Order: sequence, then structure tokens, then C-alpha cells
Amino acid sequence: MLAPLSWLKDYVDTTLAPYELGERLTEVGLGTEKIIKTDDDTIFEFEITPNRPDLLSILGIAREIAAVEGKKIKLPKLPNFPNPKKTLRFEIKTDKTINPRFTGIIIDGINVKDSPKWLQERLIKINQRPINNIVDITNYVMFELGNPIHAFDYDKIKDHVMIVEKAKGTELFKSVDGISYHLPKDAVIIKDNERIIDLCGIKGGFNSGTFEDTKTIFIRVPVEDPILIRKASQALNLRSEASSIFERGVNAGGTIDTLKRCVDLVLETAGGEIASNLYDLKISDFSPWNVNLNIERLNKILGIEIPKNKVIDILDSLNLSPVITKGFIECTIPTYRNDLKTEEDLIEEVARIYGYNNFPKTIPTGEIPIILVPYFKDYKIEEKAKNILIAAGFSEIYTYSLMSESDLENAHIKPERVLRVDNPVSREFEYLRPTLKINLLKAFSQNKPNFKEINLFELGKVYLGKNLDETQEVYFLSGISNVKNFYEVKGIIERLFLYLGIKEDPTKYIEGIDDGVFFEINFSEILKKVNLEKIFIPLPKYPPVLEDLAIVASDDVKTGDLINEIKNQSSLIHIVSLLDQYEETRTFHIVYQHRERNLTTDDVSKIREKILKTLGEKFKARLKQPSTA
Amino acid sequence: MEEKLIAIKNSALSIILDTSDKKTLEEIKLQFLGRNGQLTLAIKEIAKLPKERRPEIGVLANEVKKAIEQTLENQKLIIKKFESETKKEQIDTTAPGIQPKIGHLHPMTQVIYEVVDVFKSIGFQTADGPEIETDYYNFEALNIPKHHPARDTQQTLYLDTQNSKVTPGEAILRTQTSAMQGRVMEKIKPPIRVIVPGKNFRYEQVDASHSFEFWQVEGFLVDEQVRLTDLFGTIDYVLRKLMGEGTKLKFATTNFPFVEPGVDTYIECTVCKGKARLPNGQGCSFCKQSGWSEIMPAGMIHPYVLSAAGYNPKELSGFAFAIGLSRLVTLKYQMDDLRLLTNPDLRILEQF
Repeated sequence: MLAPLSWLKDYVDTTLAPYELGERLTEVGLGTEKIIKTDDDTIFEFEITPNRPDLLSILGIAREIAAVEGKKIKLPKLPNFPNPKKTLRFEIKTDKTINPRFTGIIIDGINVKDSPKWLQERLIKINQRPINNIVDITNYVMFELGNPIHAFDYDKIKDHVMIVEKAKGTELFKSVDGISYHLPKDAVIIKDNERIIDLCGIKGGFNSGTFEDTKTIFIRVPVEDPILIRKASQALNLRSEASSIFERGVNAGGTIDTLKRCVDLVLETAGGEIASNLYDLKISDFSPWNVNLNIERLNKILGIEIPKNKVIDILDSLNLSPVITKGFIECTIPTYRNDLKTEEDLIEEVARIYGYNNFPKTIPTGEIPIILVPYFKDYKIEEKAKNILIAAGFSEIYTYSLMSESDLENAHIKPERVLRVDNPVSREFEYLRPTLKINLLKAFSQNKPNFKEINLFELGKVYLGKNLDETQEVYFLSGISNVKNFYEVKGIIERLFLYLGIKEDPTKYIEGIDDGVFFEINFSEILKKVNLEKIFIPLPKYPPVLEDLAIVASDDVKTGDLINEIKNQSSLIHIVSLLDQYEETRTFHIVYQHRERNLTTDDVSKIREKILKTLGEKFKARLKQPSTA
Repeated sequence: MEEKLIAIKNSALSIILDTSDKKTLEEIKLQFLGRNGQLTLAIKEIAKLPKERRPEIGVLANEVKKAIEQTLENQKLIIKKFESETKKEQIDTTAPGIQPKIGHLHPMTQVIYEVVDVFKSIGFQTADGPEIETDYYNFEALNIPKHHPARDTQQTLYLDTQNSKVTPGEAILRTQTSAMQGRVMEKIKPPIRVIVPGKNFRYEQVDASHSFEFWQVEGFLVDEQVRLTDLFGTIDYVLRKLMGEGTKLKFATTNFPFVEPGVDTYIECTVCKGKARLPNGQGCSFCKQSGWSEIMPAGMIHPYVLSAAGYNPKELSGFAFAIGLSRLVTLKYQMDDLRLLTNPDLRILEQF
């Protein structure tokens, strides 16, 4: 929303320097995006939050400035309608459930021409193109007061009948700027006896617009239903200043004043005379409402004691007419402040004008919760897992969850079995990743030109299930390396599992790829089995006996089987590890340990014999004879 | 004579073994084996011995000589080795060290862990919620009914509901971690202190400061006597811990349907230090030349949200906030493009 300082000054005598004013307005909720200095003016650009339709008007912004600076607001003149000397025939058939208020009047004998210079200049300053005096005035008054207005050419309304109804859908409508639309179902429209002449709340019709030959106009100031306007504007992907105001909730009590202002300007710049009574068809009175503020509750929620008279001053500066009654401050909310409905809303009004940056800061005093929160996540475990990978030389990446159809196809995954976004930002980011492998392979290739040694991992969510009923979001821990071989990758995962207390062979998580090794672990599954309990085992009091056994066995005998078999031979075998492998010989390092006494040579040789006997029987393995050379 | 030779040997060996430089070793050699050396003189005396004893003593003398010579040689080697070792310690210390090949933790992770730690220090636990979310938790439970204009600021990615029982439009990718407010509150009674780091999705084209995927840390506290000043104090504490004691903050009013009053938090730009201009005179693009970065929208939880979760808003109150985590990471490390966070280039990762 653009607001020239010169225009704001019509309603409020602001004295703050523009930068300071901008800072102060941002603090109270009127986000100042830009302050543009021009030759003769300063233009503010504001970001308006969805709850404040009133700030989509220069007067609304002036009201905020008045509240911030403690100034009085000066309203534009709003003369009563002159009595009509004649009344032209006109009929309105409206449905108050879809069009809560319909205010309008006819002016006859106008002279359509260019707007006066001051009016054109003001519109240009807020990026509006001047068209003719009637269109410009309706536009100008909308920006000034915040109620959208539309002027119809009275003579082009067939039989001078207006019928407000909902579109059936697919009707063709040509807007005043010459563009045609197929209307969505339930768009609010006005018809005359033959055609659609208005797309309510969004755009006027070409067939009833005000052009140079227009002599008589019907000016309509409506209150439209926010949801109906929003649905239609979304379906058409068509936004206008008017639709932005209506979908936020227009000032329903402001239609008459808006019409007064508009009529006054039309009579002044285009001549003519009032040619009807005032039409004002409405579903309710739309009068101001009361909201009570309990000052104790205010102080309790804000955490500070704002003196009562200060609270009153603030509410007064916002035109909320505060009155002290028994235990309450009763406020009367002007109809342009649709956002003020509850006590909390008033508390915010007091707090923001008091100034958030004037508040002290406190630390919450309540009890620290002890019970475990639902959806608890233990970051310590994740951190440890990541640290083990980091220590092993892997660097962490974060990649997008969304990927393309061809990404999946290249990985031989059927897209129809993967969760899909209906309205992707682009085809590149359409499917939810069912694996981390695709992105890791891409990351790997991306690094190849710059690095010989690449170790990467990601711990992130994947989305499993071929449709939404079967959806499962789980964490995968995956990595890729062209440095580590299978045994090293296996060892890293073994080390990770050791920390997590998981007894599982990691082999199934590892696969060889073209120029390296890849692993992918369902981390969420692993977390279910985690056992972090560690119990210290006292150091043995007696020395171990260490021995290396060189075993000759054929290639198809698995090392894992040999180790298990050796271990099974005696409870005194504490550790068995593969020390060395050369041709057919595998050397195992064996630690014998008795916890109660010293081991004798005899103890060990008996076990050794048992080992060799079993290995011989099961695997045709034998002890390597010392070379006799 | 025998005693004399053995005495010479013992004295020679003990002196030699005590010696640690080559020069002294040469002197010792002269002292024992030189023309006038002790052993040389002693050998000369062998001639004076009776003839029958000469061979026996001669052999002994030779052994003593050999022993001395060998010990001298050994000691020379030891000294040499020692010297070369000492020399090694004096090699070029300006050369870089050999670093172990350990990997790098992503900056996002590092910041998440810091955030988790800081909040833990004031009693907040950490939760993790679904990214595939329902319209209810993401919007409606947060006082954003269908067709509310606030939905415009959170353009939503909808999931394909074909072949499922889900109503079209009901399954979305969450647009905000605030979706976890309803999920957590409806399961437990206050006091609640929880943060939820996580990924969110919005229909937004990718550029330097926008993405269809971004990270937030949602947080909320619900209890019997929660005050707006508690929210200000918590934000202040957390951002100072995360961004440094000298961090400058300012608060402003804003509107989100699920908070009332609504608060926005700005942090002084880490790049231009709030000056809006860079030392070279150019405008700071990092903060859009404002000197401030929006970092943490927040507010007192709206009574509607408390009611929707089954709480009585007359008895309970709370505050909620969302830290723009992606933004926090880029601010902390002065990274000028959000896309750097999803770029797996090791040249980026190795800097952390």
C-alpha cells in the first residue's frame, strides 16, 4: 500500500521525520517497507496484515499516525445528499445473504471528462492510472476511505434493473478493461434484465462502464461477503484493490459516508444532480459494538502495570471511546475495526501503542515440565550418530525432499508408487523422496570435478508408502564414499551400532556402486531398538593369554563363520579378531581370559586343540605349519 | 696384572656409556687406546711378565681392547641416533600439520544443536512432527479457517490424494512448524515447554531468499500465568545466546491469526551491523538496506487455539514463536543465499 505524505497530511498533522515515523509505524504493526523521497513528496510503502482492511486506505493510515503521535484526525467533508429534484426509475433485487449491504444513488446530467490535475496527480503517486473523472473519483475515494465503489452507466442497465445473485458457473463476463472471463460457480454477480453487468467485489462490467458518452450514473457502495469474494477471486486468479478489501472484511458501517464523499466530488467535478433517493438495503444495522477490557487481565497478560489513565489515553487515541464502568473499561468499536472483537484484541491495541520496545523483559516463572513431551525427539542420539560418521571422514549434506519423475526413473523407482504433490512449483520438485540415494549420488557427482576423495552422508526424512493411506515418514541415514571399502564402511556402521547397543550385522545396509560404496539405514527403525544402557565390567585381576593362530582354509569358508566357531569353543575365549589375511591363510588373534585365576599353558592348549579339531571337521581348516626352510 | 686389565676395562666402559658427545668419545679413545693410553701402556708391561704367563694375559688384554672398541662404536651409533632424533624435532615448524581426515557437520545441524541446547537450559524439550500434515493442524486449529486471507501468505503444496481415502485438499505439506501446537497440546496438560525444529514447504519459487523448502524452530509455552514480558525475555535470552551477547533486537506488532498480541522480532543485520550500507558504500543486500532482519515472529497464543486444544483460555495462557532457522543459519555465518544450505559442494561444507 502506497501512501504519499502530502495526502496523509490532509487528515493528520504529522510532525515526526519520515524515517522516525516509519520506525514507529512498523512497531505498531504497519510494516514500513520503503520510504521513497520524490521531488515534492515522500511516499511510504506499507505492508498491510490480513486483519486490517482499514489500513488499505489513506485515512486508515492517518488514523494510526494520529494514535502514534497523539494527534486529532481531520475527516474530509461529508455533506448530506442534496434532496433529489427528480427520481429516475430504478429497481434493485438483491439477496442479503450474498450481498449484506447495498448502498447506492443515481446522479444525472454529468459531464465525463479528464479529472482535475490534483486528482490525477494523487492517483499517479499511488501508481493508479487516471481514466476519467467518474472512474477516478470512485478510485480515489476507495483509496481515501477504504470502501470500494463502482459507478454504472445508468442508461446501459437494461430496464434499469439490478439483480444480485450467484453465478451458475462458466458464464462469460467481459470486464471494464476489456478482458473476458469464464465465471466460477458462486461468484457474486449483478445482472440487468439481459446480461451480467458486474462481477461484484472484483471488477465492473464492460457493458455498463462509465465512458465519455455517459450522462447518468448509478454509484454503488456495497458490502460483499468475504468468503464468496475470495473464492471467486482465487478461482479466477484475479485480484483487485477492491477484492483485497472485501476479503479482509470491509467497513460495513462506512458505505453511506463513502457515498457522501463520492457524490460530493462527482457533483463538484462532473456536475449533474442527484436523481434518486438513497438506496440502502442491508441485512443488519452495522452499528458499532462494545468490547470490555478488564484492566487486571490486561496487566496479567502483558506482565506490566500500565496506569489506568494511560490505558484510557491509548484507547481514546484509537477512537475506541473508552468508558470506565464497574471493573471494566467499555469500548465502542468503530465499524472499520473489524479485527477488534475480543478482550485479547484490545490488549494488543494497548500493548502496541504503548510500544513493545518499552516493555521490560522477564523469564517465565512457571514450573519446568517433567513429563516427556509427545513427539519427543532425542537429539543426543542423532548427534552421536552424526559424530561417528564425521569422525570417519564423512561430511553432512542437506538436500530437498522433493524430486522429479526422471530422478525416480533413473533410479528404477516407479513414480506411481511414490507420493506426489498435486501443485508442484515445477516438475523438478514433484515427488517426495522415497530414498536418500538419489540426492547423494547427485551430490557425489557434483563434487567429482573438485575432489578425489568424497565421503558424504545425510540424515533426513524419506516418505514411504505408495499412497496417502500408507504414508510413513521415517528418517534414513545414508552415505556414499569413494574412499572407504566395504570393510571400512561396515566397520563404521558396526561402531555406530555398538554405541547404540544394537546387535545386528550391517551388511544388508551396504551396497557397492560404480565407483564406491553406498549405505542406507532406516534410522527410525534402528532407534526403536536402541539400548544406551552401559554397565561397567570390572577389569580382570588375572593376565590374559594372547595367541595368534594362522589357519589355512579354502576361500569359500567365511571369516565370520570361522570367528563364530572359534568363539563357541570356550567361554574363556574373550576376543577373536582377524589379524591378517594372505592367500589361503587367515591369522586370528585370540585373547583367552579367566576371571577367577591365572590361565595355564595346559588350559590354553586344550582349548586350542578343540578349536583346531572343530575347524578341521566343519571347514576342513588346519593350522598352518611353520615353514621348515 | 689381570686385575689391572679388568679395572681398565670397567673404568673405560663406564666412562664411555656416560658420554653423550662424539668429541669426548674421541678423547676417551685416546685416553685408553692412544699411544700413551692406559691400555696401551698396560700391554707394553706384558713383556715384563714371566714368559709362561704372557699368552694368557695377552688374550685377556686383547679381549679388553675389543670390548672397549666395541663399546665405543656402539656408543657412537647411539649418539648419532640421538642426534638425528633431536634434529627431527627441529624441522620446519612453519609447515602445516597433518590433519586427521574427519568430516564436517552441516551448519544447519550445528545451529539446530545450539538451539536445542539453549532451550534445554530454560526447560524446553524438543519434539519432532510430521511434514505430511492435515489442513486441520496446519491451519484450522490455528484459527485460520478455509478461505482466510492469511492463507495467502502461506501458499500451500497439496498432496495427490488419488488411490487413497483422503479427501482432496486435506493432505498438505506443512507450511509451518506451528502445526505442532495442536498436536502437542491436545495430548498433554500444561505446563508445556517445547520446541519443534523442522522442515516446512510452501509454494514459492526458489531464489536467494526464498525456497519451497525451509526450516523453522517452532516453540511454545503454556502455563497458568504466562505474560507478554516472558515472551520478550525468552526471545531476548535465546537470541543473545545464539547470536552473541551484543545482539541488538527490536520488536514490532504483527498479525498471525493464532496469536494475540502478535509480535515480530528483528535482529540487527550481521553483515552491515545495522548500518544498511556496506563499508564500500554499497547498500547492504542482506537486510534489503534496512539494517534489520526479521527473524522470529511470535505472540501470545490466541484463545481460539487454546480452546481448540481443549484448554480453558480463562485459566491458561501461553506464548508461541517460530525462529526462521534457515535465516538464522545464513545470518550467523553471513551466507548471502539460502540455496547454499542445500548445496552439497564440499568446498562449502568444509568451511564448517
